[in-house]
Amino acid sequence: MRKTLRLVRREYKAAVKTKGFIIGLVLAPIFMGGGLIAFAVFKDRVDTTDKALAIVDRSGVVAQAVVEAAENRNENEIRDEKTGKKVKPAYAVELVEPDQTDLENQRLELSNRVRRGELHAFLDIGPGIVHPGDDPNASRIAYYAKNSAMDDMRRWLGWPINNRLRQLRLADAGIDESEVKDLFHWANVEGMGLVSVDVASGDIQKAKKTNEIEAILVPIVTMMLMFLMVMMSVPGMLHSVMEEKTQRIAEVLLGSISPFEFMMGKLLAGIAVSLTSSAVYLIGGVLVIRHMGFQGYIPYAVLPWFFVYMLLAILMLGAFAAALGATCSEPKDAQSLTFPILVPALIPMFTYFPIVREPMSSFATWMSLFPPFTPFLMLLRQATPGGVPPWQAIAGLLGVIAFTLAFVWAGGRVFRVALLLQGTPPKLGNIVRWALRG
Amino acid sequence: MDAVCLQGVTKTFGKTVAVSDLSLAVPPGSVYGFIGPNGSGKTTTLRMIMNILYPDRGRIMVLGESRRGACLDRLSYMPEERGLYQRMKVRELLEFHGELKTGRKVRRQADHWLERLGLTDWATKKVETLSKGMSQKLQFIATVISEPEVVILDEPFAGLDPVNAEVIREAILQLQSQGVTIVFSTHDMGVAETMCDYVFMIFRGRKVLDGTLDSIQSRYGTDTIRLRTNDGAAALENLPGIEKVNDFGRMQELRMTPDCDTQAVLTAVMSRTRVHSFDIVRPSLHDIFVRIAGPEAREVPHA
Repeated sequence: MRKTLRLVRREYKAAVKTKGFIIGLVLAPIFMGGGLIAFAVFKDRVDTTDKALAIVDRSGVVAQAVVEAAENRNENEIRDEKTGKKVKPAYAVELVEPDQTDLENQRLELSNRVRRGELHAFLDIGPGIVHPGDDPNASRIAYYAKNSAMDDMRRWLGWPINNRLRQLRLADAGIDESEVKDLFHWANVEGMGLVSVDVASGDIQKAKKTNEIEAILVPIVTMMLMFLMVMMSVPGMLHSVMEEKTQRIAEVLLGSISPFEFMMGKLLAGIAVSLTSSAVYLIGGVLVIRHMGFQGYIPYAVLPWFFVYMLLAILMLGAFAAALGATCSEPKDAQSLTFPILVPALIPMFTYFPIVREPMSSFATWMSLFPPFTPFLMLLRQATPGGVPPWQAIAGLLGVIAFTLAFVWAGGRVFRVALLLQGTPPKLGNIVRWALRG
Repeated sequence: MDAVCLQGVTKTFGKTVAVSDLSLAVPPGSVYGFIGPNGSGKTTTLRMIMNILYPDRGRIMVLGESRRGACLDRLSYMPEERGLYQRMKVRELLEFHGELKTGRKVRRQADHWLERLGLTDWATKKVETLSKGMSQKLQFIATVISEPEVVILDEPFAGLDPVNAEVIREAILQLQSQGVTIVFSTHDMGVAETMCDYVFMIFRGRKVLDGTLDSIQSRYGTDTIRLRTNDGAAALENLPGIEKVNDFGRMQELRMTPDCDTQAVLTAVMSRTRVHSFDIVRPSLHDIFVRIAGPEAREVPHA
């Protein structure tokens, strides 16, 4: 054990004292959550160039409402309240008389104006829009633009048009709008947890409100952090073993320590590095979340499970990686084996969404009880508001422990045999044979 | 008690027999040289002594212990291919290897050896900045820093210039004078002849020579004439009683047949050219090696 710990100390220092580790510590979460961060940072970075819209209103009663709404918007909504800086484009609305004789030609001409950049888009409002009848074409509103699917103006138009239509329909029905305001009150169905009894006092505990952050975001972030820890340590182990084999460092070390001590030294160092990284992320994350006032979302009860699963996942997958690294004689061997060692971490990434939506489904239960996936998927389920039944958590943990022991045992056998073989590319048959026979 | 003792050891890799029924005994405090052509089983044998490879059959005892790995901390090994952590600093690397073996701090020993081998100025430099020769000396220090009782060196002089080779040679002999048993493999027959108390030769996995240089040479008798002449090998063709001429350039070796008359040979050579020296000697280790492992080898003797 002394020798293993000495090797752990060297490996740990070699890993964390590098600029690469520090940079990786900062960059890894940025890459992992890069989309969300970029969205948050750049969501207000919109094109503020004014946009012209032509409206062909064949109903004759809607366009003016859009003109008024656009003027109101240009006056009140496109500038930052504090700085006065323009943050959104102004909308200029041009009303076009409908060509009753050749509608398609009119649409072509307007399309060409959009192509030339004279217009951003044009809107074609059907004649029967106020009271849709059997003819869907008569009550159709079509928005023509270069990229109409992803267009803020199109989304904005929905409100002034429908508000105008509602007013027209109420007026036609002879109803004063001010008397039926409740008609348009939208009632939300509020998500709640379950009512429980406080064990100490026996009092009934009110149910807590649930929301999407708690139900989806917290479990996913917890699982992503586990994935990040595995990604930061396991592939590195494969490459590190391969390097030490090809550079003959392994043979020198084997003059002092046994192959198993060697492998365990690398695994424990990987765990130590991951504990360091995760401690930085978790402590930093908890402090930031508390500072933001969202401490209620921190799944404290899951954190011990996180560390236990992380330790077992790195031991299990790390032993697999170290064994495969020992079979490699050159970098391209290691490159081709990087994907297979990450499969147990990647499959949970492909399947987590249906599991987080239905954490108690049979699919979720069985997937999370399959030991290679348990550290990711059981953790994901445990971080959902309802958690998992205790027997599942215990069964999952026992399965992972058994699998980890088997992986370390078999990995150690492959590691010992393969470490001194040079020039033999890794073959599945050999790996299985070494694992079984030693 | 022998420092290292192998009894009937066999090791195979697949269908290839790397070492076959090998027995040898290394006396404590001796310098024991392993010679043999490439691929003959030297490194495999050394690795088995170090418990890096396990024998398929036979028994290996190191310092009286036959349990696998029992004496690992009392012996030390330098493999043929040098393996050093390139990004570690020189002194840190030595401390790591020393502490790994002994479990105690070895700073004093590290500084002593660095000074002894002329690497003090490099103590705080990274290993990757060292030249090949310096790396080799560093690897040697990493091997002996734990003050082992048995040192196993696989080709310790390979790739070293004469100055550095001399430094390592002196260090090895100093260790021996302190009672350390040295086992090393070499392709340099001159080194084996001058340094080794015992020479062991392995060929095609089998032991073919084992003993002191004197005893080995005695087996072959005094069958060699070493001479220098004005005209070199050109004047030595078709001499009576000579079965082979080895041309070393300025010196030639003639191998005699059992019934060779040395006076007749000398007379014949003198009639052809001027003779500067004419010695009747026992065959060199190099010559014995070539006789056993060279292309003209007639049979493989078993020692």
